Amino acid sequence: MTKKLEKIIYNNYFWVAIFLLPNFLGFLIFILLPVLASFGLSFTKWDLLGEINFVGLANYQNLISDSTFWKVLWNTIYYTLGTVPLGIIISLMLAIILNKKIKGVKIFRAVYFLPVISSTVAVAMVWQWIYNPQFGLLNYILSLFNITGPSWLTSTTWAMPAVIITSIWKGLGFNMLLFLAGLQGIPNTYYEAAEIDGAGSWAKFSKITLPLLSPTMFFVIIMSIINSFQVFDQIYIMTGGGPARSTSVLVHYLYQNAFEYFRMGQASPIAYVLFFLVFIVTLVQLRNSKKWVVY
Amino acid sequence: MHKKVLMLIFLILLIFLSTSSTMAEQITLKFMGWEASPLETNSIKTGLNEFMTANPDIKVEYTPVPFDEFHSKLLTMMAGNSAPDVFFLASAFYRDFAARNVLVDLTDKVDSQIGIDNFIPSSQTKMLVNNKIYGVSSCTVSPVLFYNKNLFDKANLSYPPADPAKMWNWDKFVDVAKKLTIKSGKRTQQFGVFGFQNFWWTTVLSNGASVFTDDYSKITLQEPAAQEALQKIVDLRKKDGVAPAGNFLENSGMNTAQMLQTGKVAMVVDGSWALQELAKMDFPIGVAPLPKLKDTITTGQAHLHAIWKGSKHKEAAWKLVKFLSSSKYQTNLVKVGLWMPNRKAMYTPEGIKKWYNPKVHPANFKALTDYFLNAKLEPSVIAPQEAWDVLTTEELEKIWYANQPVKEVTESMQDRINNLLNQ
Repeated sequence: MTKKLEKIIYNNYFWVAIFLLPNFLGFLIFILLPVLASFGLSFTKWDLLGEINFVGLANYQNLISDSTFWKVLWNTIYYTLGTVPLGIIISLMLAIILNKKIKGVKIFRAVYFLPVISSTVAVAMVWQWIYNPQFGLLNYILSLFNITGPSWLTSTTWAMPAVIITSIWKGLGFNMLLFLAGLQGIPNTYYEAAEIDGAGSWAKFSKITLPLLSPTMFFVIIMSIINSFQVFDQIYIMTGGGPARSTSVLVHYLYQNAFEYFRMGQASPIAYVLFFLVFIVTLVQLRNSKKWVVY
Repeated sequence: MHKKVLMLIFLILLIFLSTSSTMAEQITLKFMGWEASPLETNSIKTGLNEFMTANPDIKVEYTPVPFDEFHSKLLTMMAGNSAPDVFFLASAFYRDFAARNVLVDLTDKVDSQIGIDNFIPSSQTKMLVNNKIYGVSSCTVSPVLFYNKNLFDKANLSYPPADPAKMWNWDKFVDVAKKLTIKSGKRTQQFGVFGFQNFWWTTVLSNGASVFTDDYSKITLQEPAAQEALQKIVDLRKKDGVAPAGNFLENSGMNTAQMLQTGKVAMVVDGSWALQELAKMDFPIGVAPLPKLKDTITTGQAHLHAIWKGSKHKEAAWKLVKFLSSSKYQTNLVKVGLWMPNRKAMYTPEGIKKWYNPKVHPANFKALTDYFLNAKLEPSVIAPQEAWDVLTTEELEKIWYANQPVKEVTESMQDRINNLLNQ
C-alpha cells in the first residue's frame, strides 16, 4: 500500500465525509438545489414547459397588490393563533394529568397519541363526517342543548374554526408526549422540599413545574408555530381552501399557483414570504428565550 | 458428429435471433388516465386487452392517477421529459395543454380517418382549437334530472316528462319540489331537490343568458337575465326551502345515488354518468331534462384522449387513440350508463338500438336522447382554467355560502374575471 493511500484511509475526516455523503447528497439534491432554484424562479415567468423569462421583481410586486395573497396571509396567521396557544395549553394539561399514577394510564397515553400516527387524510375524512350539518355528530350533540349548529365546513365564518379544532385534536398527542418526557425529567425532590416549605399545588406548578419545563415548552412552541405556518393537508382535504377562500392558507395558495395555474414564478415568492415569516418569528423567540427559558 | 454440432449451433442462433427480433419490434406504449369509477378502469383494461390482441406488436401499460393530481402530474412529467405517450385530458384542461404546444396535432388524421362532422356539435366545438384538433373526444356527459319514482308515488305526483319539449317550467318544478319536501319540526327529512348549485350555468343558459361573451373575453353574469337565474338557484334553498346547502353531498360522504336511494332527496341534478350506479340500486329511477326558464337546455363535456409531442411511438399512439374513440369501445361504457355516445350516428333509431340497455336506461330514456345530441358545450371547457376556478370557487361561493347578494357579487367580480380571461 502506498503511503498516500494509507494517509487517506487513516484520515478521520475522510470517513466522516464518506458516512455523511448519502445524507448530504439527499439534502443537496432534494432540498438545497430546489430552494436555490425557486429563489431564481421567483424573478421569472415560467409555466414548467415554455421558456423561462426574466421579469425582475414583477412577481413580488404582483403579490403585494394581490388581495388574495393578503387574505391568505391573514388566514395563515388566524390559523396559527387558533391552533398554537390552545393546542399547547390543552396538551400540557393532559400531560400533567397523565403523569399521575392513575390506573390504565398507559392506555390513555396511547389513546391520546393515536391521532398523531393516524393518516391526516383519514382524520380529515372522519372530521368531515363529524362536522356534517345534517347528520354530523357535533351538531347532534349541540342539538341536545337546543343549539342549532352551523354548517361548519361550508360557512365562511365557521370553516376555519372547524379546521383549527381538527388540527388541535390531531397534534395534541405529540406535544403531550414531549411534555410528559419533560415532566418526568423533573426530580421529585424539588416537590418534596416545596411541600415541607408549605407550598400549595399552584405554587408548585408555577414555581417548579413551569420553569423546569421551559426548555420543552420552548421547543414545543417553536415547532408548533412552524408547523402551523406550513399547514396544508388537512385544509386541502377538508375544505380545499373554501368556501370563498375562507380557509386558504399560504401553502395552499402556493400549491394552487404552481400546480393548478402552472405559474412557477408567481408561486416561488410565496415560498420566500413563508420562509422569512418563519425565520423572523423563530429569531424573535430565540432572542426572547433568554428571558424565560431555564437550562 | 461435426455436422450435428453445427446444426445445433445454427438452431440456437436462429431461436435467439428470432426472439430478439420480435422483442425489438414490440412497442410499449405508456397510457395514463384517472379512475372515474372502478367500472371504468375495468372496461379500460378489457378494452386494452382487446387492442393488444388486435395489435400484437404493441403493448400498452395503463396507469391510473387520482384525478385531483392528474394534470399537475402530467405537466411535471412533460417538463421532466418522461410523460406517457397517450393520456386522458379533462376538457377543462385541454386548451391549456394545447396552448403549451405539447400535444401532437391530430387534425389531418381525424379528418381523414374519423371525420369531425361525425361528432355531435358539443364534441366538435370541444375538440377544435383554432380549427386544429389535439385530442379526440371520448364520449359526452351532461347534467340531467334524476328522481326516485317511489317518492313521487308516495306523494301522488306525476313524474317529470322525459321529452325535452314537454318538460316543466321552473315554477311548476318548484311547486312539485315543495310537495316533495317533508319536514319534521325544524328538521327537513326529505328535500325536494339538490344539485343546481353544482351545475349553475345550465340555469343561466336556460334563461337565455350566457356566462361569457361569445369570444370568452368578458364575463356576462352581471346581466339581469343571468342574475335572475342565479337568484332562482339561491331561492330554492332560502325562499322555497326545497334544497339543502351546497356541500350537502360532500359533507355527508354520500353521493347522489345514495341520497336518492335513502330518500334524503327526491330529485337530483347530476351528470348523466350517475346512471351507472343508480341502475344497480334497488329502487325505480327516472331521468328527465332540467326544468326550463326560457329554453330546455343542457351542456356537454367529457375527457379527451391525446398524444404527447415527445412520444417516440406516435403512429402506435394514434392507433390506440383511434381505438379508444371508436364507437365499439365507447358502446361498452354507454351500455352500463356511465357515458353517452358522442357520434351523431348513435342517436338515430338504429344507432340507439346499439347501446340502449333496458336494464340500465329507464323506459322513457329514448325520449331524452336528443337532449344529449343538442347539448351546448359547457363554458368551463373554453374559459381559461384559472378564470373558471376563481369564478366558481371564490366568487360564486360568496353567493352560495356567505349569503352575499347575487347583484353585488356578479357586479364586483367583473374586473377580476375579465383580467383572468385575457391573461
